[in-house]
Amino acid sequence: MFGPRISWSASEGYMLSRVADNLYWMSRYLERAEHTVRLLDVNLGLMLDEGAVTTDGRWTKVIAALGQPKGLEFEGDAYALSLRIIFDRELSSSVVSCIMAARENARNVREQISTEMWQRLNSLYLQVTRPDLKLHPISATDTEEPTEFLQSVMEAVHQFQGVTDSTMSHGEGWQFIQVGRYMERATATAMLLEVYKDFWSATERPHEVSEYLEWIGLLRSCTAFEAYCKVYTADITPDKILEFLLLNPQFPHSVRFSIDSLQTALDAIRRGATGEGPASDAAELMRLAGRLQASLSFSQVEEILEQDVVSTLRRVVQQCRAIHSTIYKLYINYSIQAALAG
Amino acid sequence: MKTQTPALKNYTLDHAYDEMFVDESRLHSHYEPLLEHFTSLPPGELKRRKQTADMSFLNQGITFTVYGRDEGTERIFPYDLLPRIITSNEWDKIERGLTQRITALNLFLRDIYHEGRILDDGVVPREVVYSCKQFRRQMRGLQVPRNVYITVVGTDLIRLENGEFVVLEDNLRVPSGVSYMLTNRRVMKRLFPQLFQRYAVRPIEHYTQALLGTLRALAPEGRPEPNIVVLTPGVFNSAYFEHAYLARQMGIELVEGRDLLVHDNVVYMRTTTGLRRVDVIYRRVDDDFIDPISFRPDSMLGVPGLFNAYRAGNVTLSNAFGTGVADDKALYAYVPQIIKYSLGEDAVLNNVETFLLTNPTHRQHVLQNLDKLVVKAVGESGGYGMLIGPHSTKEQREEFARRIEADPRNYIAQPTITFSRAPCMVDDLLEPRHVDLRPYILFGDKVTIVPGGLTRVALKKGSLVVNSSQGGGSKDTWVLSQ
Amino acid sequence: MYYSIRHLTKFLYGSAVSESMMETRMHPRSDTTQRCLTFHLSVSPRCRVFGYRDHLGNHVHHFDIPGEHQQLVIVAESLVEVQPALLPPAFLAPDAWKELDAMIEQGDYWEMLLPSEFAAPTDELMKLAKELDVRRKDDPLMVLHELNHKLYEYFDYVPKSTRVDSPIDEAIARRQGVCQDFAHVMIALVRQMGIPCRYVSGYLHHGREDHDRSSSDATHAWVEALMPHLGWVGFDPTNMLMAAERHIRTAIGRDYADVPPTKGIFRGDAGSELTVAVRVTPSEEPPALDQEMPVPEDWSILVEKAQQPPPAPTAQQIAFAQMQQQQ
Repeated sequence: MFGPRISWSASEGYMLSRVADNLYWMSRYLERAEHTVRLLDVNLGLMLDEGAVTTDGRWTKVIAALGQPKGLEFEGDAYALSLRIIFDRELSSSVVSCIMAARENARNVREQISTEMWQRLNSLYLQVTRPDLKLHPISATDTEEPTEFLQSVMEAVHQFQGVTDSTMSHGEGWQFIQVGRYMERATATAMLLEVYKDFWSATERPHEVSEYLEWIGLLRSCTAFEAYCKVYTADITPDKILEFLLLNPQFPHSVRFSIDSLQTALDAIRRGATGEGPASDAAELMRLAGRLQASLSFSQVEEILEQDVVSTLRRVVQQCRAIHSTIYKLYINYSIQAALAG
Repeated sequence: MKTQTPALKNYTLDHAYDEMFVDESRLHSHYEPLLEHFTSLPPGELKRRKQTADMSFLNQGITFTVYGRDEGTERIFPYDLLPRIITSNEWDKIERGLTQRITALNLFLRDIYHEGRILDDGVVPREVVYSCKQFRRQMRGLQVPRNVYITVVGTDLIRLENGEFVVLEDNLRVPSGVSYMLTNRRVMKRLFPQLFQRYAVRPIEHYTQALLGTLRALAPEGRPEPNIVVLTPGVFNSAYFEHAYLARQMGIELVEGRDLLVHDNVVYMRTTTGLRRVDVIYRRVDDDFIDPISFRPDSMLGVPGLFNAYRAGNVTLSNAFGTGVADDKALYAYVPQIIKYSLGEDAVLNNVETFLLTNPTHRQHVLQNLDKLVVKAVGESGGYGMLIGPHSTKEQREEFARRIEADPRNYIAQPTITFSRAPCMVDDLLEPRHVDLRPYILFGDKVTIVPGGLTRVALKKGSLVVNSSQGGGSKDTWVLSQ
Repeated sequence: MYYSIRHLTKFLYGSAVSESMMETRMHPRSDTTQRCLTFHLSVSPRCRVFGYRDHLGNHVHHFDIPGEHQQLVIVAESLVEVQPALLPPAFLAPDAWKELDAMIEQGDYWEMLLPSEFAAPTDELMKLAKELDVRRKDDPLMVLHELNHKLYEYFDYVPKSTRVDSPIDEAIARRQGVCQDFAHVMIALVRQMGIPCRYVSGYLHHGREDHDRSSSDATHAWVEALMPHLGWVGFDPTNMLMAAERHIRTAIGRDYADVPPTKGIFRGDAGSELTVAVRVTPSEEPPALDQEMPVPEDWSILVEKAQQPPPAPTAQQIAFAQMQQQQ
């Protein structure tokens, strides 16, 4: 039904599974680095106006939003923690580790990406692994320095993404980069929203200024403050924040936008792979992605708030994981036996 | 002549053959336009062009990895802007000599892995072959496509004091450096178009096409549209840039061991759209690491079952396995006899005199003259495991004497040879530096040698070590049409 | 004499593995004194089996199993005819050493003369050579008879005392080992006297009256040394025997590393448990071709089990960590 599973002709374009894997993870790790840096930037800033949230509560939440990395705990010093999250190479989810992993993936497929992409990523790598940076890390007394550093990492990642879109052919490889970016973004945003679960039970507008600042902080953590104001004005309420970050179809950091983009990229990959190999049987993958997309498209924030916000967010994360597994089973880590049997 | 040119004020001649000067007052005529051109450039111009070229190398990521530190460091391959010029007559002899040598070495490999007549006839002692770590018993009796064992060869030539080109060593396993030859040429054509044109240089740009054609000619029978790939150990290999470069230039896939698998003696690669059969593998992975079933079981780079697929004739690997036995430094001493035996001809290109340390008389002589000789470990390459007598300390000589006594088969010795010297740019002046020449030979349905090769330079003053891993660089090599 | 041989090998994996690749050397040789009349190799899970002969004339089979499996069973069945062999004399002519050297000079024996992976001279070995007075004296055959005897006396046979890939020093130091160790020690000692010597892998039939030390339910190993006029002569230092009618040869090589009965690799993070069982059944007449070979009690069940599909992977195996790239 799906034609021969082993293809013989060398003339058509194809991509090694390893290359797809490298591009996907290069993209995911960079997106993760950017997200982490932004979280730190926002929370280091909010700490200056301490009030509604204790220092302890704040950083415990940050750690939770990063997926509770093994061995990472808040021990009372926010700067020490931030330094670890940025520079600790022992920590696989640290910013430096993510950038190193992204660069390593890129190095493995140097021939598949554009020179501009490589140069942008490589100079970011050189910037964050500079030996003098390790010797003189951000000092606890100087709060401007970290902000500057964090800003420069964010800018570098944005530039990389821009350069990727404008210098690399939008073929299969580029689509895998999209898949990686939006998979990571959807998961990270859903996890972040879950950390703020106490917000969603609040019914009123904030009374305290500091509480108000926390809500803005959440929006800023998703680069969403300005975009939010354009839609809802500066009238900040929990249901609107949730609606915006979870369900907005136009804002690039919303979960829905990420899933839409993910779905589009997967569909492009599927269409490029017609009639060939195990990948031709992409029905399962499209069903999973389509189901998640539909559930976000047709949901209303009132319903979600009435039911259970946390379980809705967890379902998103779980479904993303299922999509990841299916991508691997289909394109990258497929069973040899199935591929031969065709 | 020399004294009148300020750029040559540091250019001193010694007993080494000089590529540019016949003597203090006379130039080799083919270097005249070059010297004229370079000395007529305004001051600083050479430096400016060198910077342009540096940027070009950097942007293209033309780098190699230096080992021996905590992690591999990437560096630009150092190079020199002055081309090395070889006349048409000189080249004719080199070409004849290399074709003869490669043909004979290939026949030798075919013979020792089949009938072994050359061993029966006592031309090469059995012990030299069987005690070689690169001898692959698995290859005995195995039929290889077109009987071609060595598809890609890089032979190192040097020039003696009298100007004669001789063979220093053969590289028959996975010779590297050809990408530097090609990029050097590209940079030179861009930086010195007029000079280039004036010289009528023979082209080398068809190398990758010739390589692809050679590989295609060796495809298994019944595979008219063979799928050809380059197999690399991965990004940590010092020659990764070259593997990627060649794959891109040939328009074929660059794969690692983990991209390939073998089922029922057929090799496939894993793509996002399924498995795709592989017919020819230009492998840049050493024998030992190619297949954990047939060779080293701890190899993570290899493809289990690849050798069985190869034996069954379903896939071609170039170079074949076990070719290293013919570039063993002890076997090297027998190459002139091998040429005579298999082709009935005298060698066109001579060898360097070589002492075998398994021979007690030779060993005695070598141990007494360690300060004058060069001692090399037979299995090493890249300038490692070497003692250069005149530049060595007493401790180093004692260490080598111990090693030789312990394992004489593992070492050979040669007289210290002064490689020829060619002009190089040092700051704004021209100075002579020692050079060798590595031409690349392709052997498929026929022998193809692109004119020239990689001229390697010992950039450190007085140094004889041209290997990139030890401070060597390269320069473009111009072979003239007439 | 005829022998029916059944050789079963089973690998049981801790969890499912895939892409198994295996080479076997179980097909008895057909040469000087023995002939392999039939050979059959069955593998479960089912797969296509390929074969070739290596440059020493050994039959090698190989196969791969791409799909997931939790065990791998290989059954080799063969029927071998062994000619009664003339036992070599106790000694040779006085000039035998010279003749031997001349033979080596002319022939292609270097492979069996040079040190190899498991049979290389070590300090311990040289000490042993001194202790056992292993050197060129009398004639080569006398020296070897004596050595065969001395090794038997010197070493205790202790099953499982060493692993297949143990270096000879281990056995020498502990004065105990299994047949591989005896063979490796003897090869190394014999080669350093300048006598070509090779490793033989195969089976030994244990009769009721035989009091062999080596295990009857396993493969066996001994050595062959090159002698003038006689060619390759087999010595079995494990049992102080000359290799003769009861020794069935499957493969020859420089040492164990060249001729392991099985050699394989698989994809998966699992330990594997190996079971080997060997039955050698003699008969004076060739068994009729359609006659069923006696099946050892528990074997058929084992094979049957292996043919069942593997149990479905548990949920835990599927849910691998997705937050990190798999390397």
